[in-house]
Amino acid sequence: MIDFRNVKKSYPNGTSALDGVDLHVDDGEFVFIVGHSGAGKTTMMKLLLREEAATSGSIIVSGYNLTKIKNRDIPYYRRELGVVFQDFRLFPTKTVYENVAFAMQVVGTPRSMIKRRVPAILTTVNLADKMNAFPKELSGGEQQRVALARALANNPKIIIADEPTGNIDPRMSIEIMNLLMKINKLGKTVIVVTHDKNLVDYYKQRVVILDGGKIAEDRVGGMFS
Amino acid sequence: MRNEKKAPRGRYSVRFFLKQAFTSLWRNGVMSVASVAVLMSCLVVLGAFVLLVANLNKNLDNIAKLNVIMVFCDYDLEEGRAEEIESDIKKLSNVDKCVYISKEESLEKMKEESGDSGIYDDMTGENNPLCESFEVTYANDDETEVFNLEAELRAVEGVRKITSVYQTAKTIDEFKNGIMLVFTLFLLILFVVSLFVIINTIKLSVYARRHEITVMRYVGATNTFITLPFVFEGVIIGVTASIVAYVIEALLYTYISTTGIGDVAFVTMIEMSKIAVPLAAGFVLVGIITGVIGSVASLRKYLKS
Ligand SMILES: Nc1ncnc2c1ncn2[C@@H]1O[C@H](COP(=O)(O)OP(=O)(O)O)[C@@H](O)[C@H]1O
Ligand SMILES: [Mg+2]
Repeated sequence: MIDFRNVKKSYPNGTSALDGVDLHVDDGEFVFIVGHSGAGKTTMMKLLLREEAATSGSIIVSGYNLTKIKNRDIPYYRRELGVVFQDFRLFPTKTVYENVAFAMQVVGTPRSMIKRRVPAILTTVNLADKMNAFPKELSGGEQQRVALARALANNPKIIIADEPTGNIDPRMSIEIMNLLMKINKLGKTVIVVTHDKNLVDYYKQRVVILDGGKIAEDRVGGMFS
Repeated sequence: MRNEKKAPRGRYSVRFFLKQAFTSLWRNGVMSVASVAVLMSCLVVLGAFVLLVANLNKNLDNIAKLNVIMVFCDYDLEEGRAEEIESDIKKLSNVDKCVYISKEESLEKMKEESGDSGIYDDMTGENNPLCESFEVTYANDDETEVFNLEAELRAVEGVRKITSVYQTAKTIDEFKNGIMLVFTLFLLILFVVSLFVIINTIKLSVYARRHEITVMRYVGATNTFITLPFVFEGVIIGVTASIVAYVIEALLYTYISTTGIGDVAFVTMIEMSKIAVPLAAGFVLVGIITGVIGSVASLRKYLKS
């Protein structure tokens, strides 16, 4: 469950990025967040990741109150989330397997568990045959699937994707979106930030439209239908 | 509300940290070597300083307790002259005891101190190159009294030279205070330089791993987990430097104490076996502390949540 109540965020330089956002997302929902550049979408994701703290209002995610969370609890909170970025952020010197395993290693997962789980996750994102490839040997779509696998590695409840299809061609975008839908069907809450109106219309899911740091619309079924 | 809920704390994999640390050290190559070299020099100087002071203190303690002036006679004393000199010395005020030491006794003592290497074997009897001497113990150790006695002893007929441990002790003590100050300053500068070099080396590693650190934070690695590979790196630098420094120090010390460079007059050096453990432990401790401080300082800005 994600709950934003009258959330405001101003950056230290005075820019107001979010100006009173109320948003409730239940477990297992699929939500698109759309809006013009500068509308505050990325800021919302940063607040969700607790990379930034809200200036006012309250944010509660998976039972963590992000306005009151202690610094030392933040890493444990983040294990509830899986993140995917527009630019993939894979390690070029690590193989696909190692990229995914890294996410598990750094939260102290036992080796035996890593060995079992990584191939299973790579199968979920249809990359089992590319386990030993390096990122540069993969297409953009495939790289984003590796990033998705890494986001899934620690079995989070919520997947957050900020413009996941921004750097890949349209045909591959469908592939990524289908995967995100599949992951949603597996029971995860999925939040997708995107510019792509065609995608949003095609999937007919809940759409939250941000404009000038406020929620302009929140409805189900695409933008133009 | 499960705000205080704690996810299971994962196991820390030493293997993972070591691998990260060694990769960084290797990647930083020259800087890693420089860090070790600088810290090592610092430790060698620190060790030399501590050993010097320890030896001075030991000898000063011995000397201060003695209240003794050694009186050496002319080489070619006639038969019976020694007794006359002895009675002359005994007449002086402030003389408590005066013990006669024959040439043979002196030779014996030298043999003992040098561990009897056999080179003294043909110096017996007629060939004895030493002179007769007296060990004069005084009663009053007030500075002017001792100074007067020294002058009186020098004036005795047949006395060639005296060695006053009193003056020597005072000189060494002043010398000690002087070098303490200089060395402490010098050491401080060296440690600041070492820390600076280590911090820079680890900052390079942190920079090379900045993307990894970002991803680690997003997937929920704890600050401790993110810091540990760099602490390992710092500690590896520190421990390597301390081992090399220990070997150099031990070799130097053994060399000085066995070749007799340190055998000035009545100075005795602390045996290597007695200082080995504290020296090694001290080095490793200082090395580890420096490494830890260096690594934690390098990472500070990356760990604000
Ligand atoms: N770190 C920052 N410091 C100052 N202003 C920022 C920062 N990040 C974003 N902003 C500003 O906040 C507003 C919202 O930005 P952002 O959340 O990135 O929008 P979006 O992702 O929808 O394009 C913009 O005006 C942007 O310039
Ligand atoms: Mg953005």
